[in-house]
Amino acid sequence: MDFLELNAVTKDFPSRSGPPARVMDGVSLAVRQGEFMAVLGPSGCGKSTLLQMAAGLLPVSAGEVRIAGRRISAPPPEAVYVFQQYTRSLLPWRNVRDNVGFAVEHRLGRRRARDVAEVQLGQVGLAGFGDHFPWQLSGGMQQRVAIARALAAEPAMLLMDEPFSAVDALTRLDLQALILDIWTRRQLTVLLVTHDVEEAITLADRIAVLTQRPASVAQLLEVGIARPRDPVTTRELPRFLQLRHQLLNTLLARHEA
Amino acid sequence: MKLSRIWPGLVVLALLLAGLEAAVNAGLIRRALMPAPSAIAPVLWGLLESGEVLEPLFATLRLVFAGFAIGSVLGIAVGLAMGWFPAAFRLLEPLVELLRPIPKAALVPALMLFLGIGETMKITSVSLAVLFPVLVNTLQGVRGVDRVMLDAARTHGWGPAHTLLHLVLPAALPFILAGMRISLGLALVLAVLAEMLTGQGGLGFLILDMQRSFLIRQMYAWLVILAVVGLALNGLFLFVERRALHWQPALRP
Repeated sequence: MDFLELNAVTKDFPSRSGPPARVMDGVSLAVRQGEFMAVLGPSGCGKSTLLQMAAGLLPVSAGEVRIAGRRISAPPPEAVYVFQQYTRSLLPWRNVRDNVGFAVEHRLGRRRARDVAEVQLGQVGLAGFGDHFPWQLSGGMQQRVAIARALAAEPAMLLMDEPFSAVDALTRLDLQALILDIWTRRQLTVLLVTHDVEEAITLADRIAVLTQRPASVAQLLEVGIARPRDPVTTRELPRFLQLRHQLLNTLLARHEA
Repeated sequence: MKLSRIWPGLVVLALLLAGLEAAVNAGLIRRALMPAPSAIAPVLWGLLESGEVLEPLFATLRLVFAGFAIGSVLGIAVGLAMGWFPAAFRLLEPLVELLRPIPKAALVPALMLFLGIGETMKITSVSLAVLFPVLVNTLQGVRGVDRVMLDAARTHGWGPAHTLLHLVLPAALPFILAGMRISLGLALVLAVLAEMLTGQGGLGFLILDMQRSFLIRQMYAWLVILAVVGLALNGLFLFVERRALHWQPALRP
């Protein structure tokens, strides 16, 4: 069953002079329940725009977004967006516990939100860090806080916008393993936007490749590598290398064009 | 603050007082206009020791605090509304831009016509002076709230009221407090001025009254008290501000 459907989604942004600029042209994409899908594309192609529309954060200009069969026009309770810039999405005046409680405090109240936060912090390996402030933590730990916050809302789906692009390479592998673990344990549906080909292959069941602006889906690939996957050994498989070769060629060629 | 950092400034102050003392004693400055600091000090001490200082001091502080509180609350409320609801902005922006540049001191005579010369008029003048810097800074703070943060609230299903109270207000707090710090100085100015113009109560009235009565040493003594009040108010505010914004990068230990 498809959990997230984008049907012929088009997006125009108003431009200062002349007609509106079309950044996305008739994108159709369906993410199955429990599936991990990655969206790859050259930078500036509108990947984040796509994800924001899927999250109900940005209205579509034409077409429709459906989540769990329902057409959405505002952020739905089933899906939570994880932002690329954890420094901007966490509240600097709140400690880590209250930043995670952010996800549920408006429904449960501040006090119960803190209990929920403690549990979630344990799930991302940050037990005992509740009293710290975001700026006292490393980038990788701050992104763990952001992930704990998203999980605290108990969503069925995560929409992740290049969540690991702002951390160093080793931390990135660490966080990828964490996300795979969480996805498996919670049977989540994930749509991950990235420009990192290896990340997409390591994590995803299927990979959608976008074209340059106005973006449309150029390719939809089945990864077909058995799970559980490992951030180290999976990268040495022939299938991994073959996909990497193919995807990089596609992306680079389109970039040069 | 460490002593080693403030002592050069204190030395300058001491030198200036000594220079003043010498100049007055040498006859370079007329005693009638500027008595020697050593002549002012006993008068000042007398005011403090007898407790004579308390009533006018509290009268002025009451004006400052009441006007500051009313003006700040109104400024924050209107600033939040204008920053958050585009309709409120369009409705009020011309009015605010028209009233904001008027030096609020110039409104005191008009206010006296409507409200007389009692506490109501004085508190109103102080509130008006406080209102605008707080309002404009709050507005700026609200408009500067990071979109990513607002989107985080939306994706987690926060409603508008919860977002305004728990995200927009704290995010704008550094701006709001900066506006309030400017307003605190203005509050003291307007309190003193209103007291002078109405001819009653407080430190402002006494300074003018002493000058008119040729009690020049008393006038300077009250002036020193006023200076200390201003210093203390600012120090108190900085203390509160640091506490409230302990999470800000510039204030991190």
